Amino acid sequence: MTAEATPSLVEKTDGPAEAGPSVHGPRARTRTAYLRYVAGKVGGAAVSLLAVLVTSFFLFRLIPGDPVKYMTGGRQVSAEQLAAYRREFGLDLPLWQQFTEYCGKALTGDLGTSYQFNAPVIDKITEALPNTLLLTGTAFVLYTALGVFLGTRAAWRHGRLGDRLNTGLALTLYSIPSFWLGLLLIIVFSVGIGPIPGLFPTGGMESGGEEGFAYVLDVAHHLILPVITLVAVEYGQTLLVTRSALLDEMGSDYLTTARAKGLRDDLVRRRHAVPNAMLPTVTLIFVNLGRTVAGVILVETVFSWPGLGGLFYQALSVPDLPLVQGLFFIFAAAVIVMNTLADLIYPLLDPRVGR
Amino acid sequence: MDTHDRYSQYDRTKLTPVRSLRPIRLLLAAATAALTLTAALTTPLNPAPQRAQAAADDGKDVLTVAVAQSVDSLSPFLATRLVSTSIHRLMYEYLTNYDPKDNHAVPGLATKWEPSADKLTWTYTIRDNSKWSDGKQATAEDAAWTFNKMMTDEGAATANGSFVANFRKVTAPSPTKLVIELKKPQATMAALDVPIVPKHVWENVGDFSKFNNDKTFPIVGNGPFVITDYAPDSFVRLKANTSFWRGAPKFDELVFRYYKDQDAAVAALRKGEVSFVAGAPALTPAQAASLKGEENIKVNDAPGRRFYALATNPGARAKNGEKFGDGHESLLDQKVRQALFMAVDRKTIIDRVFQGHAVEGEGYIPPRFSTYHWKPTDGQKLSYAPDKASQLLDQAGYKKNADGKRVGKDGKPINYRILCHATDPQDKAVGKYLQEWWGELGIGVTLNCLDNVTDPWLAGEYDLAFDGWSVNPDPDFVLSIHTCAALPATPKDTGATDNFICDKQYDELYEKQLAEYDPAKRADLVKQMESRLYDTGYMNVMAYPNAVEAYRTDQIESIMTMPQDAGNIYGQDGYWGWWSATPAADGEAASEESSSAGVIIGIVAGVVVLAGAGAFFTMRRRATAEDRE
Amino acid sequence: MTTEATPQDQAQAAKTSPRALTRQRRRHSAARFWKQYRSHRAGLFGLTALLLFALIALTAPLTIGSDVQSVTDAPGGPLESPSAEFPLGTDQFGRSLLGLVVWGSRVSLLVGLLAAVLSVAIGALIGITAGHFRGWYATVLMRITDWFLVMPTLVLAIALATVMSRSLSTIILAIGVTTWPTTARLVRAQTLAVESRPYIERAKALGGGHWHIMSRHVLPNVIPLVLAQTTLIISSAILAEATLAFLGLGDPTVVSWGGLLQDAREAGAVSSGKWWYLVPPGIAIAIVALAFTLCGRAVESVLNPRLGVAR
Repeated sequence: MTAEATPSLVEKTDGPAEAGPSVHGPRARTRTAYLRYVAGKVGGAAVSLLAVLVTSFFLFRLIPGDPVKYMTGGRQVSAEQLAAYRREFGLDLPLWQQFTEYCGKALTGDLGTSYQFNAPVIDKITEALPNTLLLTGTAFVLYTALGVFLGTRAAWRHGRLGDRLNTGLALTLYSIPSFWLGLLLIIVFSVGIGPIPGLFPTGGMESGGEEGFAYVLDVAHHLILPVITLVAVEYGQTLLVTRSALLDEMGSDYLTTARAKGLRDDLVRRRHAVPNAMLPTVTLIFVNLGRTVAGVILVETVFSWPGLGGLFYQALSVPDLPLVQGLFFIFAAAVIVMNTLADLIYPLLDPRVGR
Repeated sequence: MDTHDRYSQYDRTKLTPVRSLRPIRLLLAAATAALTLTAALTTPLNPAPQRAQAAADDGKDVLTVAVAQSVDSLSPFLATRLVSTSIHRLMYEYLTNYDPKDNHAVPGLATKWEPSADKLTWTYTIRDNSKWSDGKQATAEDAAWTFNKMMTDEGAATANGSFVANFRKVTAPSPTKLVIELKKPQATMAALDVPIVPKHVWENVGDFSKFNNDKTFPIVGNGPFVITDYAPDSFVRLKANTSFWRGAPKFDELVFRYYKDQDAAVAALRKGEVSFVAGAPALTPAQAASLKGEENIKVNDAPGRRFYALATNPGARAKNGEKFGDGHESLLDQKVRQALFMAVDRKTIIDRVFQGHAVEGEGYIPPRFSTYHWKPTDGQKLSYAPDKASQLLDQAGYKKNADGKRVGKDGKPINYRILCHATDPQDKAVGKYLQEWWGELGIGVTLNCLDNVTDPWLAGEYDLAFDGWSVNPDPDFVLSIHTCAALPATPKDTGATDNFICDKQYDELYEKQLAEYDPAKRADLVKQMESRLYDTGYMNVMAYPNAVEAYRTDQIESIMTMPQDAGNIYGQDGYWGWWSATPAADGEAASEESSSAGVIIGIVAGVVVLAGAGAFFTMRRRATAEDRE
Repeated sequence: MTTEATPQDQAQAAKTSPRALTRQRRRHSAARFWKQYRSHRAGLFGLTALLLFALIALTAPLTIGSDVQSVTDAPGGPLESPSAEFPLGTDQFGRSLLGLVVWGSRVSLLVGLLAAVLSVAIGALIGITAGHFRGWYATVLMRITDWFLVMPTLVLAIALATVMSRSLSTIILAIGVTTWPTTARLVRAQTLAVESRPYIERAKALGGGHWHIMSRHVLPNVIPLVLAQTTLIISSAILAEATLAFLGLGDPTVVSWGGLLQDAREAGAVSSGKWWYLVPPGIAIAIVALAFTLCGRAVESVLNPRLGVAR
């Protein structure tokens, strides 16, 4: 019950600790028990995915606007032609039939055809997905590393000036709107202010026309500012969770014993405290992985990054129903899959859960 | 997926698939970025990565244009966005083009065109010196096939179907002769803005409503440029067509790069990452002002081709007489419409919202199209006069109640819903002014800002709406959208109408001008129509926004505007701008240099900052560890 | 929750004592709470900042007046840089930015507050009832909660804001409806803990109905948790409001911090280097969000000292 009844910053946004694995893990240590546990979790995830599929379908039907009228623009179209369009996109069918058709197709990987791009949704998604993964993946690795590193240090020097500065900075950055930080970075480091020249590209992912290694460098160059933005606003959470987990751990008797044995602080920290305190952090890391994919919308908008977030925003304004549904599904699926993975890994890491 | 299979036959005819390497390269980029950043934590001052690979662009003059729209489709049969149609102008020749000086029709793929005596048959002579980029000759057969396809295949009529609506038959009796037979006389036959595509490539396409023309590169065309590469939501790359009949463009490559954010595009121009910024639709006053002071940047602030208007809902109705929508009944009164417009201070809008980058609105067609531009006479003009507006409303029977609010016939205070585009800052700004101006009159205003206004617009569910159209050299289209014929047949259909105007007098004039083949007489009829439209008070033109765009003079030596004296560059009715642009003598090389220097400086700076942070923490760690021992 | 036995003791005492005694006990515990809270410097800082901002927002009609929003009577030229007359410069209509930031605090704080209250109210209601009634009712509710929990919050809020018309209530609803599940989980856990205590058994035996138990025994014990949760959620609600307004999903005729940032971006403040248009609203958002977070953490650590956060 402790983990659930302990409010902390962690639960603030999405309640990752909640969304993550429950602490009541499998009761038995045997392998079959673990397998049963896995089956349960995977089954739960499948149910969740199905629920998301349902939500994505019905929620977006509520968006005002007739997609067919959008598609035909201001052109003169007869009622028959409009009906023909509706038929073509299956919009004339009763809702439940549209839904079953949608689900059936979704199972085969067909998410429909985008209204505005005249292309299969899955194609649009696979086009944008690598770009989003590139951005979020890079940022994720960096902010996790930074958060864990600084979090351990902060906990170890608990209450001292270093900890205060560290935690204070993390909390402050955490309170800053990411899009605002992005805009400021653009002003300072892309446009350039006063003596600072514009060092980085203002947006986009590539200059176009580069080949080979030059292309790689070019993309890396475009990547720096958006990654810094993401890292700055995201590392704080990891830091705070690591820190409080470690503080929890440091109250434990065995650490006092270890220190009493005369072990150096550094060793005590590395060998004993950190590994044990990593559990909540690992959970958070997985949850973050799923969450960042969806959370990147703002940064992608500010930096004109050609990823899923920008696509989602473009699709919503039409509304390009198939594309919106597809993207929503992908966003939610990312969270679900990552949460499930965290659930599956958790008992392997934490010997106490099995007891 | 199935699009791929369907066009595999087409795929095989042309060249190699593109960017198969992409994911791997992206992964590499991620690794590089992550490495440069993380390595910095331990190694102070990483040696700057060498960047010797600039060779790819060596000696090439590249003109990069920042655009604010993404491409909707590269198929000329589907594309409707300005960026896409502008690119199609560059890829494919149209039958005619417009003179950059005064917009009169000049030869394109056709060298000559003439109507028959009964005005119903037009004969075009097709030039014999235009070749497709795959070496085949472009002929009348290609043009006939394009038009016929649009007339017979609904999917192919998606974007430009209206051009062929009045066609009876199109034939190509010889490779240089194209004959179009009409159902009714049509004065706009030298203004058919339809890209002519190569028959031998396109006849293999199955479903025109799905084919986006973006699977194989280069795309076969006969315009001044040929598309060689395209990444969705990212860029379109074109190379000069050296065998273009009018002469090869001066730049070797032309790249349209997509920026979601106009500010980012402007910053990119300032740094030389792009050579040209097209506004969306114009740079903001702040951007223009800040760019004006820059060295090597020219701001092109030219009369625009748009009008910006306040459209009233005259009571939405269909051709069958059925009424629908929910426009406020008071707006059916001409006096009310005129009173509202008299309470709009156009001068303030120009000064404050556009900050001088627009011309005060009067007639329907912007002054840039001098042949058709019309001004109200002094007696006719609805000048800004809030007191008079107030009187007019009193006269119309909409008096103020005890709270100072004007009351409608139903006894309720009047509150107009204005439909606005959420993505257009001007709509929102002008809306704020309207709220205050009309508030003084005792009329409430609610701004209904939507990303996509199509639905309430077509359903007539609004009282007033911000409206604006780009006007073509031939004004037929923008005039046609206010005729009764443009109304939807029934409330269930979609009409071509803009805001459900149906006025007999206006319609009679419209029919006359369409059948009038004498330019001067036609212009006179068009002006009469504008006068009528002004008096009705249905379309109140507030401003003609300028085209505000900017380019780097150290990369572009010269570029043709349209009209040539003072005109826009992006979104011209022709390819003049990009075709005529000449590279600056030393510019491109310099910018290439500076951008690679930028990369190095940038990476080094990033590394230094992070290394500093890393060092700081490492040192702190040492210090405290020692404290502890 | 083994650590905070004191409020429970009181609740137990309240059961057997007259009302006055209960009030006195509560007063005592509030005083004790305040004494502990005072020792959190960051918490005090947050509280001071909040009071300051609240004061500014509440007195705004007196200090600057609603005229500051007027575009027709705007006193300055467009996008003037900071000067003696306009300490933070002007916006593109020539309105004083200082005035707008002050005026905008009203909307931003109000939206943040109402959204958080809505979110916590939904969460608490679901949490308490799910904890109290158990059975299939709880199972269903908790499944729904879990399901909301995995929905990407921002994406869902954007979608909701698009579905409804652009207004403040839409934003409040969009934030409130997407952020409640965490609270529901926390409150349910607490409810379960409270209801497992013996005195609830006694109350039930004495004929206390569902309503009596939930309102008299569970609710008072859940309140501190709910309070902490509210402070934390306000912080994210203010950020969410700014985000939605920035994405153009807010009401364009209302002045708010996020709306100001969007105006700044649309006016081209970024590329023309007009940083003074962009910086103040952002800083205001950051300070208020930070202040609420600090308060929330301080409250938390008072309630659950074992955590040792924010000290």
